[in-house]
Amino acid sequence: MLIFNQLSTYLYLALALFAIGLYGVLARRNLIAMLISIELILNAAMINFMAFNRFLAPHPAVGQVITLFIMAVAAAEAAIALSIIVAVYRKLKTINVEQATELRG
Amino acid sequence: MNFLSSLTTPQGVATIAFIMVVGATIAGALIAVLARNIFHNVLGLALSLMGVGGLFLYLNSPFVALMEILIYVGAICIAICFAIMLSEPLYLSKPPRNPLKIQGAVLGAGAVFAFLALLVKQTKWTPAPERSADWSIETLGHYLLKNYVLIFELVSLLLLVAMLGAIVLARGGRGSS
Amino acid sequence: MGDPILLGCLATVILPLLAFAIIMIFTWRHHKLSLAISLVASTIPLIIAWIFFFKLAGLKQPIIYQFDWLISDQVKVPFGFLLDPTSLLMLVIVATISWLVQVYSIGYMGGDPGFGRYYAFLSLFAMSMIGIVISSGLLQVFISWELVGLASYLLIGFWYEKFSASEAGKKAFVVTRFGDIGFFIGLVFLTLYFGGLDIHSINTAAQTKAMPQWLLTTSALLIFCGVMGKSAQFPLHVWLPDAMEGPTPVSALLHSATMVAAGVYLMTRLFPLFAAAGPTALTIILAISTITLILSSTIGMVAWDIKQVWAYSTVSQLGFMSMGLAAAGLAGGTLFAGAFHLTTHAAFKALLFLCAGVFIHHFGTNDFFVMSAQGGRKLTIPMVTVTIAALALAGIFPFAGFFSKELILGSLAHLPNKIWLILGLLGAFLTAYYAFRVIFVMLFPRPKPPDWVQAQIDAAAGAGHGHGEEDTGHGHGHEAHHGVPLVMSLPLLILAFFTLILGFCQGWLEKFLLGESHPHDVDLVLLVAAVGCALGGMGVAWVDWGSSKARWEGFLRNFPVLENFFIQKWYMDHFWRWFLNSIIYGIFSKWFTYNDRRVVDGGVDAVALGTIGSGRLLSFIQTAFVQLNILFMVLVLAGLGIYLLMGR
Repeated sequence: MLIFNQLSTYLYLALALFAIGLYGVLARRNLIAMLISIELILNAAMINFMAFNRFLAPHPAVGQVITLFIMAVAAAEAAIALSIIVAVYRKLKTINVEQATELRG
Repeated sequence: MNFLSSLTTPQGVATIAFIMVVGATIAGALIAVLARNIFHNVLGLALSLMGVGGLFLYLNSPFVALMEILIYVGAICIAICFAIMLSEPLYLSKPPRNPLKIQGAVLGAGAVFAFLALLVKQTKWTPAPERSADWSIETLGHYLLKNYVLIFELVSLLLLVAMLGAIVLARGGRGSS
Repeated sequence: MGDPILLGCLATVILPLLAFAIIMIFTWRHHKLSLAISLVASTIPLIIAWIFFFKLAGLKQPIIYQFDWLISDQVKVPFGFLLDPTSLLMLVIVATISWLVQVYSIGYMGGDPGFGRYYAFLSLFAMSMIGIVISSGLLQVFISWELVGLASYLLIGFWYEKFSASEAGKKAFVVTRFGDIGFFIGLVFLTLYFGGLDIHSINTAAQTKAMPQWLLTTSALLIFCGVMGKSAQFPLHVWLPDAMEGPTPVSALLHSATMVAAGVYLMTRLFPLFAAAGPTALTIILAISTITLILSSTIGMVAWDIKQVWAYSTVSQLGFMSMGLAAAGLAGGTLFAGAFHLTTHAAFKALLFLCAGVFIHHFGTNDFFVMSAQGGRKLTIPMVTVTIAALALAGIFPFAGFFSKELILGSLAHLPNKIWLILGLLGAFLTAYYAFRVIFVMLFPRPKPPDWVQAQIDAAAGAGHGHGEEDTGHGHGHEAHHGVPLVMSLPLLILAFFTLILGFCQGWLEKFLLGESHPHDVDLVLLVAAVGCALGGMGVAWVDWGSSKARWEGFLRNFPVLENFFIQKWYMDHFWRWFLNSIIYGIFSKWFTYNDRRVVDGGVDAVALGTIGSGRLLSFIQTAFVQLNILFMVLVLAGLGIYLLMGR
């Protein structure tokens, strides 16, 4: 059994990517770094879809379609997030998430 | 010797290439998250995304792999570079990290990792009984423009709205012209 | 819908309602159009009512069309029509009087800016009154009852820009509401313990003693509370004299056929229930009506406003009717005496008010002394008809009132306790006195009015036409009207005709209502006593007000304490004012305000403050550190997931 022909390889790999991304979201203070981490998380999800599509799904085209949609949504998300970051920087003169505390309760 | 000779078979070469791809993905991800220079982060992300594109090749879909590199590496990473240039200057000194926060983040990520690993381990994955072997790009195109055309249109609408929103936000809202 | 009777019933109720809606929504600006719509919508019910009256005469079984409107387990609330002789008679009365009033108002209200609105309200009034008359269930009656209250409020306060008018409308509305609370509780009792509000089955059950006695007594007394409010019985009579603030035709409508008659009509409709209510309840009712009779007659003796006099006479006659009904219930008699007096009273009281309306319209004042001084008797038709009506009111042969009063006194005479009869005769005496006080003053003016009348005239002249405008409510000075327009005199003549002939229809009406005519053994002593009282009242009135030597002071001037007591209306208005101030405002309002402030508002405030407070308390979660929040979320999610997986 080849390593790259096993579903669990891909799942663990996606999991690792997801965990790394999650760590980045939780630990990084730079908004752009958080966005990069989110991109990693999205990629983990895409790997999952593609892996299930490859090994389990009845029709291989469906998973690819969904992956493409995720890409489109991720692109939109990145565009919005980046413009928000620019706006936040213009407003607060920082993109450090710990200093953007205007909504403190 | 058996091990070394097995490396020269096509499977062996493929395995080595796969491990390299996986290594690039993980290493890129680690750089993207851990490096303190934001520009290094972007480069790491690009590396990681290239690796993911390689994984997609292993998963039988060169088209999606191409798209991955085109959209992510080609578009999103460049957009992030622009954002970096528009925001904080890189030479500013960074405040020291809070060790408690790092520990919390490790704990959270570790907990999720444990949970999902447990889930993957315990689940018995069963393939669908009937599986088509049709991997062609034509079928993909048919699916996109027939079965999923509504979602396709909606996604294009979403992209349009996101574009407009990005313009409005980046211009600084309605007030300033 | 093939049944013509059902169709007719529907038409009588729905047409006026439609007229009301159409006028209020679309045509109220167009006076002529509104008038036409309203007249059509009252003429058709009139025709239907008369056709029913003659075609369905001799009805053995009541005609019932109904369906169960609200059903809850054993309780069924019916909705529909119930036609029996009583309701047929009342239907004719209501339809006729309201039609006549509508015709009369063409002249009276002509030129009023609210002409269309006025006719819309009249239609609403007619609709709700007809609803009371032919409803088959008590809840339906109650709904119409309240609609009558609403319509009367609107009409009494018709000239709402006048403060006293809007106050009077409010007073009528609120005072009758007092009684209606009792009525409603009575309905609840009946629903709870009898299991339905169907008039016919209630009456049957009351006749066959299928209801426990306590329920009969309680519900009869509670329903009588509603009657007290609507029919202006003591101590809830105070709204009726103030109701004079409305246009005079409205007073005619209120006082003869609709609002006040509704109460007495309800008593006749539920006569079996009242008759079975037991001596205690009936004696209470009898006492209340007797007090009403005496009280309002004595106040009527000293009033100077012609409408006030007739208003108090209405109150007293209503007391008389419910005396007759209660006495009949006590002595095991029939409802005929009360219903007959209701009928005759409807005719002559409408006549009295419409005549008063002509005088007021013509002279621009309500004071009949001033009218007399300004030549009131020159208006021939109104003067003749008002005299006829007053004769009927006093109970002089051969006018309608004579026969019906005789019957009521007869049923009072059947009671073992003669005090009721004596008080009834006293009431008859006082009625004759105050009725002819007005008539004699109008008929025989002084060549030179007394000083206090002259002062009134001067005051009226000094104020220009202000006084007139205030009372008749529209901008015409009285010079503009010479003679009486036909639309105003025609209803007078029709009503005078009824007043003259109704008395002789007694036998026929009795057969119509009861199915058989009892030969009345004429009690000669009683007859002499009654006529004697009436003539005595007239005689005293003549001495006091009529003859050329009369001093226009009244014999009461010799008893200044009594006179003042009567002028102050037995201090009933003071009593209610005190009651309102100290009991309602002082106690209940205070409690309710306290409850409102502290419990209702306080409760809402507490909820709001609690939300704010708990929000403050929990706002420490909002650390503004997004990553901390995400961390918590992720930890909880992962913990939950691991927990669930371990359990597998």
